[in-house]
Amino acid sequence: MLLSLNWLKDFVPFEGDIEELAHRLTMVGLEVEEIVEPFSYLKTVVVGKVVECQPHPNSDHLSVCRVDVGKEILPIVCGAPNVSQGQFVPVALIGTCMPSGFTIKKAKLRGEVSCGMICSQKELELGDDQSGIWVLDQEFSSLTPGQDLISALGLDRYVLDIGITPNRADCLSVLGLAREIATLFSLPLSMPKVEITEDDQSLDYEIDIPAKEHCYLYQARLIEDCQIKVSPSWMRFRLLASGIKPINNVVDVTNYVLLELGQPLHAFDRDFLEGNKIRVALAGQKQSFTTLDGNNRKLLATDLLIWDAKKPVALAGIMGGANSEIRENSSRVLLECAVFNPITIRKTARRLGISSEASYRFERGIDQLLSPFALQRATALIQTLAKGKVLKGLAACEPKPYAPRYVSFRAPKVSQLLGVSISEKFCHEALTKLGCKIESKATGWEVLVPSFRHDLEREIDLVEEVGRIYGLDKIEAKLPKISKTLDQTGDPKVAFLRKVKHWSKSVGLKEAINYSFVGSKVLNLLGLPEDNRVYVLNPLSEEQNVLRTDLLAGLLHSVQVNANKERFKLFEIAKTFFKDQNSETLCRENNRLGIVLAGKRYPSKWPFEETEMDYTDLKGILDHFLTIFVGKEVEFVKKQEHPFLKPAVEIVSQKENYGFLGLVKDEIALQYDVKNMDLWYASVDLDKVFETFQQYTLKFQELPKFPATKRDITLVCPLHLCVGDVFKVIKKVKCKILEDTCLTDIYFPKDKKVKHVTLRLTYRAKDKTLKDKEVDKMHKQIADILVKELKVTFP
Amino acid sequence: MSLDNFLNKLSGLVQELEKDLNEAKSISGLEEVRVKFLSRKGRLAEVMKGLKSLSEQDKPVAGKKANEIKDKLLRLWQEKKAYFETKQKEEQLKTFDPTVPGRIPDFGTLHPITLVIEEISDIFTSLGFDVVQGPEVETDFYNFEALNIPPEHPARDMQDTLYITENILLRTHTSPLQIRTMLSRKPPVAAIAPGKVYRRDSDLTHSPMFHQIEGFLVDKNVTMAELRGTLTLFLHQVFGKETKVRFRPSFFPFTEPSAEVDISCVLCKGKGQINGVPCRVCKETGWVEILGCGMIDPAVFHMVGYDPEEFSGFAFGLGVERVAMLKYGIGDLRIFFDNDLRFLEQFKG
Repeated sequence: MLLSLNWLKDFVPFEGDIEELAHRLTMVGLEVEEIVEPFSYLKTVVVGKVVECQPHPNSDHLSVCRVDVGKEILPIVCGAPNVSQGQFVPVALIGTCMPSGFTIKKAKLRGEVSCGMICSQKELELGDDQSGIWVLDQEFSSLTPGQDLISALGLDRYVLDIGITPNRADCLSVLGLAREIATLFSLPLSMPKVEITEDDQSLDYEIDIPAKEHCYLYQARLIEDCQIKVSPSWMRFRLLASGIKPINNVVDVTNYVLLELGQPLHAFDRDFLEGNKIRVALAGQKQSFTTLDGNNRKLLATDLLIWDAKKPVALAGIMGGANSEIRENSSRVLLECAVFNPITIRKTARRLGISSEASYRFERGIDQLLSPFALQRATALIQTLAKGKVLKGLAACEPKPYAPRYVSFRAPKVSQLLGVSISEKFCHEALTKLGCKIESKATGWEVLVPSFRHDLEREIDLVEEVGRIYGLDKIEAKLPKISKTLDQTGDPKVAFLRKVKHWSKSVGLKEAINYSFVGSKVLNLLGLPEDNRVYVLNPLSEEQNVLRTDLLAGLLHSVQVNANKERFKLFEIAKTFFKDQNSETLCRENNRLGIVLAGKRYPSKWPFEETEMDYTDLKGILDHFLTIFVGKEVEFVKKQEHPFLKPAVEIVSQKENYGFLGLVKDEIALQYDVKNMDLWYASVDLDKVFETFQQYTLKFQELPKFPATKRDITLVCPLHLCVGDVFKVIKKVKCKILEDTCLTDIYFPKDKKVKHVTLRLTYRAKDKTLKDKEVDKMHKQIADILVKELKVTFP
Repeated sequence: MSLDNFLNKLSGLVQELEKDLNEAKSISGLEEVRVKFLSRKGRLAEVMKGLKSLSEQDKPVAGKKANEIKDKLLRLWQEKKAYFETKQKEEQLKTFDPTVPGRIPDFGTLHPITLVIEEISDIFTSLGFDVVQGPEVETDFYNFEALNIPPEHPARDMQDTLYITENILLRTHTSPLQIRTMLSRKPPVAAIAPGKVYRRDSDLTHSPMFHQIEGFLVDKNVTMAELRGTLTLFLHQVFGKETKVRFRPSFFPFTEPSAEVDISCVLCKGKGQINGVPCRVCKETGWVEILGCGMIDPAVFHMVGYDPEEFSGFAFGLGVERVAMLKYGIGDLRIFFDNDLRFLEQFKG
């Protein structure tokens, strides 16, 4: 809401500092977002008096003028036909940047020096007239050369841009803000004087409201013989300062009163209304309607319309119809002033995507008791500006008269809730200042709240008002004593996820955070199923229309951003989303850990070998993770088919599938600019891991008392044999003294289609030092089993 | 062979070894000496062969002496070896370069959003708040209705929503956790809920996904003064003790009274200018908006079955990105979600 200071002063004699005003308003909840200087571009435009005006010696349409601008007399070449000696005119001095973007410079026009520009209304964006220069003395008096245009024309130097919260509908007007300012600065509030001279002829018009629950009040006046023309400059300037484009005197009056009093009005051209009747009724069968902006609007049966005897003429409270708007040749004006049900207006406005100044106010609530005054005010203005003839009386229907609202209030509640001591006296004064009337009862106060404060319905609303006037910022800080009950603990999963993040960091991964939504194109590219996706109904773009079903879909963005780096190792902990009819949110959310690796294994060449990351890097990270968070045996099983990985490996235990890892297919990686690098990806189901982790408790194991014996064994294996299979066979051997098996080497002899796998087996007994013979025997037994089960040989 | 002869031969080995050791110039020369005297086919072994031909009576004496000599040879050799090793280490130390780059393990980093969430979570858990979490896809009920934002309420305009269906949406704030937590517990309740939130808004200063932290306390006699105390303590810990805190009345449907909290600008320290140049962070006002808060509205208590006559509570919500931007001096919101390594690796702490 833009508040013109000049306009404000019509209501309250505020003479203070603008910064102070802005601060005080902000501190009572009317946040001044900006102090705007709407006409700052006019700072170097001054009033000039044309003291001499001669035809240009070298041109038949230019004049050479000498213009008194106070400090000096400037030579100015002017091309306007209406310039003449003695006129007071706006002069843009050298250096002025015109609204068009053009900067005034000293110039020579066909040999004559020109130091400035005499401007038209249009050039200054203060009106539409561009027929010639703006002769100020035709409209304004007591002009002096050199005076700056802003003060000479009474333009607003400052306008406050105030953010009005949805509860403060009453502050969506100059009057409403003036009320607050009057309260804040203890200034008197005065209302504009309204005088109407009614014609002898009475108004013969009927208002019929079948949609009683949608329209609380409808009043109309008829003004005939109106002269539609440009509004006077004072009105245009105020509208401009408030961000509204002037149109013509009648339309401007409706906008003016809307801004001034907060009551939206609509002016119909009576000649286009059929019959003598206005009907406020739902759209029903009517399926579309053309509003005055030329748009054909599709209607629902529940939309509220204003009808004449035959047809709809306005979308109630939102926008008038094209069929009855005020035109240049209109003469009979039917002026509507109504109060509609906020919800009705909001539903339609929101569905149609229209937010007009009118609908914005109707949605938030109108002061129904002020409504008749607003109609009078507008009628009087139209009568003055358009020289119209106001028919006697008004047509009105009020299905739901305003019901005074009483709120019970206990003054001690304020101190209790705010935690500061605020006296009853203060509460009384504050509420009274805000327009409340208070009656004392045995249980507390009965407070009659003003009709313009729809937000004051409950005791708590009044507590807030007192707090606001007292100043929330004056409340002193105190620390609460937070009591706990035995059954309360934080969410263990939060702690778990945090642990995983810190683990990820500790193994050298960098955390990425990507959007939860991606384009369905990305999921398609990854070959992910379509039937389980959760789509966004109203996405901002096609790139954000579906929730991730795999973290990679988002991580690929980070991959692309970093594809030009030598290496990257990223992780992300986030949710994936799947359609689930059994969930109350129709969605299953799955916490996952995603890891991507690509490029060089080490950050610098020296003192490392320059090698590329491969499967073992990613698997090593996962082995590390699983040891810490799962703590039991899992298997890495090669998958024959995977939509976006090749090779792809699943991490499984007997019961659970913990996730998967593998190499992102080249054709996919390439789309994200990954060239000459392998892109490795792992995805871990953290919800599954969490379940296992919760059951897993650390237990101390006695340290061994007897020494271990280590024996190596080298097996000649077929190339396809997995090391894991060798481990599996060894594991199955019933052998109490085998403590550990680890891989020490894999060697591929040249020209032979085999690999040599060397394992180191550690033997130890709990109760004695093993003898060589015992170890030899066991070692041989294991070797024999390996040969038998795996078709391996010895070198 | 006579005993004397045998013993002489043994004793002679000592001198021979000493001579060779003196001539040895390096560790490798020393190894030759070891092989010559102490290996299986070395000089000592050769002499030891004579032991067999001694009489049974002489054997114990000879054996004992032989062991002594063996130990002595070994000791002499080891002493020399130790001498060489020390010398070699000293030589190496002379050329030791302490400035050579080390084998640095990879720097893992946490995203600045995580750093801020964890810092704030730690402050509040130390005060006694629990950390809770909930679904990101929410129902209209938890996200709006239960928070006193009925359908067609103008307050819905304050948040542009991304919908999944007519009644299911991406949560627009972390406030649904107030409802979920209060429904599952009885007062006293003190919790914070950090997490992702979503709005249908994308420009220089708005991201369609961002992070919030919701916090709330419900108990008997909770006051706005305690809200101010809690937030002041938290803001002082995050931004420094000298930070000024300001409460401005505002409006949120689920709190009343509601306030917006400003802190003195972290860049210009509340002066509005830096060396005469207008401050870009606070736009010369000296204040920056940091969070919204208020006393939980009785309507919300009704929704979760708490009696507002018995209990009162406060709630607050803050944007994590905003805190991170102020704390680390980040100017552009979008940089958070690109995950450029050059950005991420600055947060090593």
